[in-house]
Amino acid sequence: MAHVSVTTTTTLSATHPLAARELAHACGAGIEWVVQLVEVGIVSVPSRALPPDDWHFQSADLQQALAARRLERDFGVDLDAAALILDLQHELRRAKALLRSHGIEPGR
Amino acid sequence: MDFKDYYKVLGVERGASDDEVRKAYRRLARKYHPDVSKEADAEHRMRDINEAKDVLADKERRAAYDTLADRVARGGSPGGDFQPPPGWDEGFEFHRGPPTGAHGPADQAEFSEFFSSLFGASERRSAARQNYRARGEDHHAAIEITLEEALQGAEREISLRGIETGPDGQPELKTRTLSVKIPAGVHPGQYIRLAKQGMPGHGGEPAGDLYLEVRIAPHARYRIEGRDLYMTLPVTPSEAALGASIEVPVPTGGTVELGVPAKARNGLKLRLKGRGFAGTPPGDLYLLLEIALPPADSDAARQAYEQLAAASSGFNPRRHLGV
Repeated sequence: MAHVSVTTTTTLSATHPLAARELAHACGAGIEWVVQLVEVGIVSVPSRALPPDDWHFQSADLQQALAARRLERDFGVDLDAAALILDLQHELRRAKALLRSHGIEPGR
Repeated sequence: MDFKDYYKVLGVERGASDDEVRKAYRRLARKYHPDVSKEADAEHRMRDINEAKDVLADKERRAAYDTLADRVARGGSPGGDFQPPPGWDEGFEFHRGPPTGAHGPADQAEFSEFFSSLFGASERRSAARQNYRARGEDHHAAIEITLEEALQGAEREISLRGIETGPDGQPELKTRTLSVKIPAGVHPGQYIRLAKQGMPGHGGEPAGDLYLEVRIAPHARYRIEGRDLYMTLPVTPSEAALGASIEVPVPTGGTVELGVPAKARNGLKLRLKGRGFAGTPPGDLYLLLEIALPPADSDAARQAYEQLAAASSGFNPRRHLGV
């Protein structure tokens, strides 16, 4: 059994973000797909005036992009619909978290 | 590792059409999606459903899976422990990527050990046979750690299984174990990137990366919401009524002094700023007060309750019920 010690790990954060091409590669897509994600608001960038090669992304963006990729593939939705589904999903999770913060367990 | 019957997972017949597979998947995904499902094991079921669909909706993967299932059936115990024989998928080509199947590395995020051992590496071999240059694909996996490990850092071992080409050019089953240092201060949903631990590159290009999504195991004392932590804090009726300074444990270890305000009600939420997960801004630790009644299990305690009842005879906790 091969054993590899990985001492160099990077936690995605503001100081160690992903470039647009890295985000695309992580999702098995091209940079033009990331541009579409930004256009529909699935991920956001500080300024769209900057070229995509200067965009940077963090963990939440990667999570969003991977979720959008799966929605595209599994349900055949376009990115506008994926954006709406992800917004609704976040709102649902936020509402459930709010209930829990008041000691109420959302109904299962 | 159990052999999984993907047809059973999706509830379709062996000869089901692509359309039947897709419809079955979508129906089950709506039933078991963890955000909307009322089923207790929704998350686990959803992972199996995703996995089954990823195989049965792909013509070549499905043909390879069917061959394997037949081989296992002939060998005896498909329901028991199962090791895929090296070379079981000879003769099949696995294609990746859009536009036909849209199978990207994103697919791998929720694969079980069974799935990745059968399909992940066979795709790697398929890619290696093609004559082109490209950086290796990135891999995704989730790693569940304890709250304490997230706050204080830890070292964890991760086993990745797959079929790789051996020195004799023949495929063989290999397990690769990675020792990974989890940095202190990671929070749920954050990704740890392990450079060049993904798929090997093609034509001399570098390997892809491995992304580990951090998940925190449920904790007996703390509940996690984003970067914030919540804890139920029991207080006595006198502490709640009169106010008190009490000692409270914090997740990083040790205790802090907390001032409970007078006339505190049950469920009151107090905040210890910056005592949650690290970040910009850092999360907070919220304490939900829960008034715990001392038991009336001695003459002195019963007498104290009687005195309290006499002193608060005008207090009616059921006034809002009209009684």
